[in-house]
Amino acid sequence: MANLFVDGKYGDRGIILGNEAIARGALEAGIGYASMYPGTPASEIIIALDKNKKNIKNIYTEFSLNEHISLHGAIGASWSGIRSLCAMKNVGLNVASEPAHFLAYTGVKAGLVLAIGSDPGAPSSSNEQDDRWYSLHTYMPIIEPSNIQEAKDFTKKAFDISEQFSFGIILMAPSRLCHNAGILHFGDCLDRDLISGNFKRDPENYLNLFNLAVKNHKKYLERSELLKQYAYNSELNMIIDAQISSTKNSRIGFISSGVIYSHLIEALNFINADYYKILKLGITFPLSEKLIGEFLDNLDEVVIVEEAEGFLEFQIKKIAFEIGYHGKIHGKNIFKAYGELTIDDVIKGVSGFLGKAAPEHFTAAVNKSEILSAQIPQRMGTFCVGCPHRGTIYSILKASGYSNTDSKDRDVIIAGDIGCYTLGLLPPYNAMDWLTCMNSGLSIGQAISIADKSKKIIALVGDSTFYHSGIPVLMNAIQNNSDILYIILDNSWTAMTGHQKTPSTKTDIDGTPVPHSVNLKDLLKSLGVSYIKTVDPNSVKRFSVIIKEALKEKGLKVIIAKRECILQEERRKKIKNLKSKLENSSEIIYELQKERCVKCNECFVELACPAIQSVKENGINNGKEYYFIDPVSCVKCGVCYEVCPNSAIRKVEFNLNPSIDLKSQMHFLNNK
Amino acid sequence: MKKFNIAITGLGGQGIITAGTILKNAVLDSAMQDVSGSERRGGAQREGYVEAFVKYIFYDSIAELQNPRKNMHSPMIASGDADVLISLEPLETLRAASYVNKNSVIIFNTNPHIPISVRMGKNKYPELDDILESLHGITENVFYYDFNKLSIENFGSIISCNVISLGVLFAKTNIPVSKNVIENILLKGSKAKDNLRAFDIGLNL
Ligand code: SF4
Ligand code: SF4
Repeated sequence: MANLFVDGKYGDRGIILGNEAIARGALEAGIGYASMYPGTPASEIIIALDKNKKNIKNIYTEFSLNEHISLHGAIGASWSGIRSLCAMKNVGLNVASEPAHFLAYTGVKAGLVLAIGSDPGAPSSSNEQDDRWYSLHTYMPIIEPSNIQEAKDFTKKAFDISEQFSFGIILMAPSRLCHNAGILHFGDCLDRDLISGNFKRDPENYLNLFNLAVKNHKKYLERSELLKQYAYNSELNMIIDAQISSTKNSRIGFISSGVIYSHLIEALNFINADYYKILKLGITFPLSEKLIGEFLDNLDEVVIVEEAEGFLEFQIKKIAFEIGYHGKIHGKNIFKAYGELTIDDVIKGVSGFLGKAAPEHFTAAVNKSEILSAQIPQRMGTFCVGCPHRGTIYSILKASGYSNTDSKDRDVIIAGDIGCYTLGLLPPYNAMDWLTCMNSGLSIGQAISIADKSKKIIALVGDSTFYHSGIPVLMNAIQNNSDILYIILDNSWTAMTGHQKTPSTKTDIDGTPVPHSVNLKDLLKSLGVSYIKTVDPNSVKRFSVIIKEALKEKGLKVIIAKRECILQEERRKKIKNLKSKLENSSEIIYELQKERCVKCNECFVELACPAIQSVKENGINNGKEYYFIDPVSCVKCGVCYEVCPNSAIRKVEFNLNPSIDLKSQMHFLNNK
Repeated sequence: MKKFNIAITGLGGQGIITAGTILKNAVLDSAMQDVSGSERRGGAQREGYVEAFVKYIFYDSIAELQNPRKNMHSPMIASGDADVLISLEPLETLRAASYVNKNSVIIFNTNPHIPISVRMGKNKYPELDDILESLHGITENVFYYDFNKLSIENFGSIISCNVISLGVLFAKTNIPVSKNVIENILLKGSKAKDNLRAFDIGLNL
């Protein structure tokens, strides 16, 4: 796939991910600059370009430290005459909202597209905000593709629109599009030799102060009006005429956009009702009053099918009021404003509204699953086997004495933050007291340390989140001598989004040293932190002692829990083994001796390493249950060996014979 | 238009997404075919729920392919609308049972992965017999194997569970794609030899 992504031409077809299709659209449009702060579900947009950059001429890719910087970077490239693509997740726009609010004032030179991965249902986010509402004040036009092909085509088109009207364009892609994979018909790329930057002063647009800002405000309102005329004629918007005459059905219409539009089309087919008048909006801001007016004209009722609070409904009702439309406009009275709007929700909503029953196999399945779901235990994510965050969370709970409780009365407060370690808020750990946005842990924590002096506070932060926007928060805490223990979980990578480098990543995965890597400890010292300790989070006993000691001290304390993400460590090992073919090496395995295990649950529930599993004796249902370490998933981190109070976990060291095939020896050991 | 919907579910790290991608690549042979289907990735964490949908579409005519009322497909599978459910974890089979109907085929891995809530003693993991009874209450076409065991025995790790299950898909369902197409896709991918063998193991179960 990778090759087609770079070299594909008109006439080629391939299976591609929605995010990759967006990146490909930008590539076809001749971008030279691509930036993002990684965030699910948008990450693969820039990853696709970054991992192929060696084979793409004149491209610069950047995983910026945060979204504010990332969007500013794209603006700088645009002003220099280079088409730029910036990507982020929904909540990223909160951080980038400042540059987003200036972009209409200054305008762009070369096309600029901001691709936003929204996350309805919030499977990987801390909220499900609909970023489209921002455009009511940023005036950034919004384009919404419905499938893989449109993701590519609309992105490409967005660059032209951006240049024509001098706006940065938002390309909205919900996770269901970002992570949809389907057929893409490729187009040709613009000549990449032509990409070269040349920044020219443009004080009239780029300087905004006093009346200059007012002038530019007026200018962009005018440009937005022009864009509405464009939207009226644009092929990105489409009216499908009714395919029935007479009857009241010909006077009912549907309006939708994006992925929800694809649900709507499928839902109408599903209930055998594919004959209504439909407006598909590819440009959802600004809306053309003329287009909406013409669509509503011969309709008595319209149903707006969309996710979240009803951004289209809000705009369309305003237009309907202005043009004196007297029909009924439905939307959020039918479809919920929270959670993901699934295909099921659309089928139910549409069939309910039309009074047309859904097929029997659908209703039967819906009813059945309601009965079934009551008996199915929930499954929530947890740390990977061998994850160093498990050691950190376990140590904190041991030190504070809140292991395996979800009590509301704790006198050690634990502030969470965004990253893999966020999973520590879930059972069995219940180790976090709040989780909102990036760096809310220490920010809120330092105020609580003033408001409630009776409690101790531990604030957690990952290395990537710390560098994102944590340094000013830390300086604020230093300046005010907050009484807090700040634990930086430094695993060297932005792990949650696919292991992008952080400023303190020292060696790349293939072993090459990273230039200009930051020494975190030196940084902290220079900021003025005097209490700094570095520990290996997998040495859980030592770690919890250090936490206990730190909690006794007054003022700001920082502990760096330093250990590389296990996934990267394992990858590195694999690469190394391939390179050196392994010489005389020793191999360790951990073994849980069931005769000694008293099932105290220290390893099985409190530490909860997924590699420690339970099985019924002889596979019989009511047989005696015992615990064992699954050798296939165990990564030999040794933490369980350290925590078992009954010496039931044994560490066995072998010397492998280099003259015999290594794989078979390992296989033998693992299955012995 | 003919359709054939496959839901693949399981946990992070089981190769669910890869299995979906292999199946999706099968439509590139004909211009009259299309495919849609989103993936739910459980973040980076290993234990989370993961699903991939593969919705095959076979158009009857060029006119149909060009008809905007027909050529747009949701990335999701509606309740009861999957022709096949492949699940690599028993409990997740039950959770995804809402996708199937009385004519669907269910293929699942009997190797359980115990959720934390069960470890903590807050919930009970259902017995295999109970899971089977629930599934049989929906469809008679239920096939189940210990894919973990098969994969470990043959390849030394659980890495091949997903491809073995694809073999079963071709052996036990009327999937309207030729198995040669899949074999060709596997042949072009990485670890071709292992994958072809895993596919073959599944085919012969
Ligand atoms: S050594 Fe113990 S804690 Fe570490 S991965 Fe293996 S079973 Fe889990
Ligand atoms: S900590 Fe030791 S005794 Fe307790 S359950 Fe684990 S192996 Fe058994």
